[in-house]
Amino acid sequence: MKRVTIDPITRLEGHGKIEIFLTDEGDVDNVYLQIPELRGFEQFSVGRPAEEMPRITNRICGVCPEAHHMAATKALDALYHVEPPSVAKKIRELFYMAFYCTDHTVHFYALGGPDFVVGPQAPPAERNILGVIHKVGVEIGMQVINCRKRNHHAIKMLGGRGIHPVAGLPGGWSKAVTEEERQELEQIARENVEFALFSLQLFADVVLGNQEYVDLILSDAFTHNTYYMGTVDENNKVNFYDGMIRVTSPVGKEFVKYEAKDYAQHIAERVEPWTYLKYPYLKDVGWKGFVDGVDSGVYCATPLSRLNASDGMATPKAQEAFEKFYETLGSENINGRYQPVHHRLATHWARLVELLYSAERMLELAEDPEITDPNVRSPVTEKPDQGIGSVEAPRGTLTHHYQTDENGILTKVNLIVGTTNNYAPITMSVKKAAENLITAGTEITEGLLNMVEMAFRNYDPCMSCATHSLPGQMPLEIVIRDSEGNEVKRLSQYID
Amino acid sequence: MLMKTIVIGLGNPILTDDGVGVLVAYEVSKILALQKRNDIEVTEANVGGIRLMELMVGFNRAILVDAIISNNGSSPGRIHKMSLDDLSEISPTQHSTSSHDTSITTALEMGRKLGLKLPDEIVIYAIEVENIIDFNENPTSGVAKAIPRAMKYVLDEIGKYPN
Repeated sequence: MKRVTIDPITRLEGHGKIEIFLTDEGDVDNVYLQIPELRGFEQFSVGRPAEEMPRITNRICGVCPEAHHMAATKALDALYHVEPPSVAKKIRELFYMAFYCTDHTVHFYALGGPDFVVGPQAPPAERNILGVIHKVGVEIGMQVINCRKRNHHAIKMLGGRGIHPVAGLPGGWSKAVTEEERQELEQIARENVEFALFSLQLFADVVLGNQEYVDLILSDAFTHNTYYMGTVDENNKVNFYDGMIRVTSPVGKEFVKYEAKDYAQHIAERVEPWTYLKYPYLKDVGWKGFVDGVDSGVYCATPLSRLNASDGMATPKAQEAFEKFYETLGSENINGRYQPVHHRLATHWARLVELLYSAERMLELAEDPEITDPNVRSPVTEKPDQGIGSVEAPRGTLTHHYQTDENGILTKVNLIVGTTNNYAPITMSVKKAAENLITAGTEITEGLLNMVEMAFRNYDPCMSCATHSLPGQMPLEIVIRDSEGNEVKRLSQYID
Repeated sequence: MLMKTIVIGLGNPILTDDGVGVLVAYEVSKILALQKRNDIEVTEANVGGIRLMELMVGFNRAILVDAIISNNGSSPGRIHKMSLDDLSEISPTQHSTSSHDTSITTALEMGRKLGLKLPDEIVIYAIEVENIIDFNENPTSGVAKAIPRAMKYVLDEIGKYPN
């Protein structure tokens, strides 16, 4: 048996490893995804006041502190049984939309985009954001930087701090929005809408305009029929901040819709003997292994999933983009619902549709006269006991679950982070891509392995939050061993 | 012209040794508060790449303090002083396709290409660490002992250009 290791997967947060085991003939025997997990968060949290959680959990992850801050704040509302005033919810959502604008932007241009803009087979030294800028122009690079800059400014203005927001409180938000700030936020949101439209146009020109890329997106190697999860509003439109969790089936029917607090009734975790990762699946379907189909409880929670789980987008331009997405990818509209798109690489496009939605929603909120209402907090009067808060993090549904004593001291903490939802589908995607691309007699090149990585990268998994000690980015290294474990070949992206 | 310096402590202070850079930055910040220097800014970050590059915009000099696992048998707490070139040599970030994590070199190259004003001088203090996967506010003992030494190195570096 031969063994191919991709360690760690480049261009992603944290560290991960893909091991591909080959048969003696050179076909793929099995694929293992290894993701190191941080340890002891529950132990770290128990005994602390629950009120600290929005400020503690936002340190878990360097990439999405805002998502943890928001889920934690919502969990505190539930814990203290307090309903925030309408304006507080709007400010939270406004803040959260600014975060989505910057996060989705960086993924497309820096993490996902290089494969499509520069090309999946391009040398690794070019297949990065510098390559993207080289291809599409310095001006666009500057637009990316400006998008980040103005939204970081908005996040700081609304969240109280730039990197680790502090404004979330049980029952509200610590800081009202002034009229002057509102005007500035409105301007930022307008620029975000323009930028999102521009990005979708760029996708249309560069990706959809290239048949090779379209074929790649539609290819079987990158397709899986699974269930999809996403948060929806009362009209079953995508919502990032609040709503019901909706799960739709591989054939596009609503499977279940539930309140976030009921997650444990619907989601179970599968433990496999060969890994410490736990694989969430739909309890009522059951675990059938890493397989596709209606009978397999595997579900996926990504931008593509959110679109598939919804009936549409709540803002007009994003709705247009949503329709174009499904029409272009050949999805049939049955009774007002598009059939799910199962092509995983379309997640990059779905992410841009979401970028436009978050920009438009940000503008709606910034234009809302209520947003400057100074009454941003409801008093807390009830005793705390248990609370669950959930948001759509960019990388999947994020749930915080706290239990406390009557003084609000934490006794139990459970977090289901976005990426965790996708462990099973990621494993399946990597395996399928490897099986399709690596067969007996194939020369395993760097470009080929990048294609395997692409199966992984579209999920944008956040593997090991905020662990970034130097040297954080090891070379992509592939070691091929014979059946006795002897090294027969070693490939590296970085060997001169 | 005022020589503007930013000191950036990198890492996650609730992940045992990972946040040692941030702890050093806190200490530096306390000392500087007494000196009333308006040419120095001290901040923290727990991401690399573009975000880190963005933090350096507008400064003439950057001093980074971070954790490192160099896998060469160095004992925890050992402090390495490095330049950006050193970083490229020991870690392939310059050729890395990552725009996050520690691919500072790629992000800086991008920033320069876009005409952003970035520091001419970047000094990196990297502290050898051992545990970066357990949640804990306290670094391991060898690493904790390095904090005052690292603080002194940073202050000496700052002192090269008196206000």
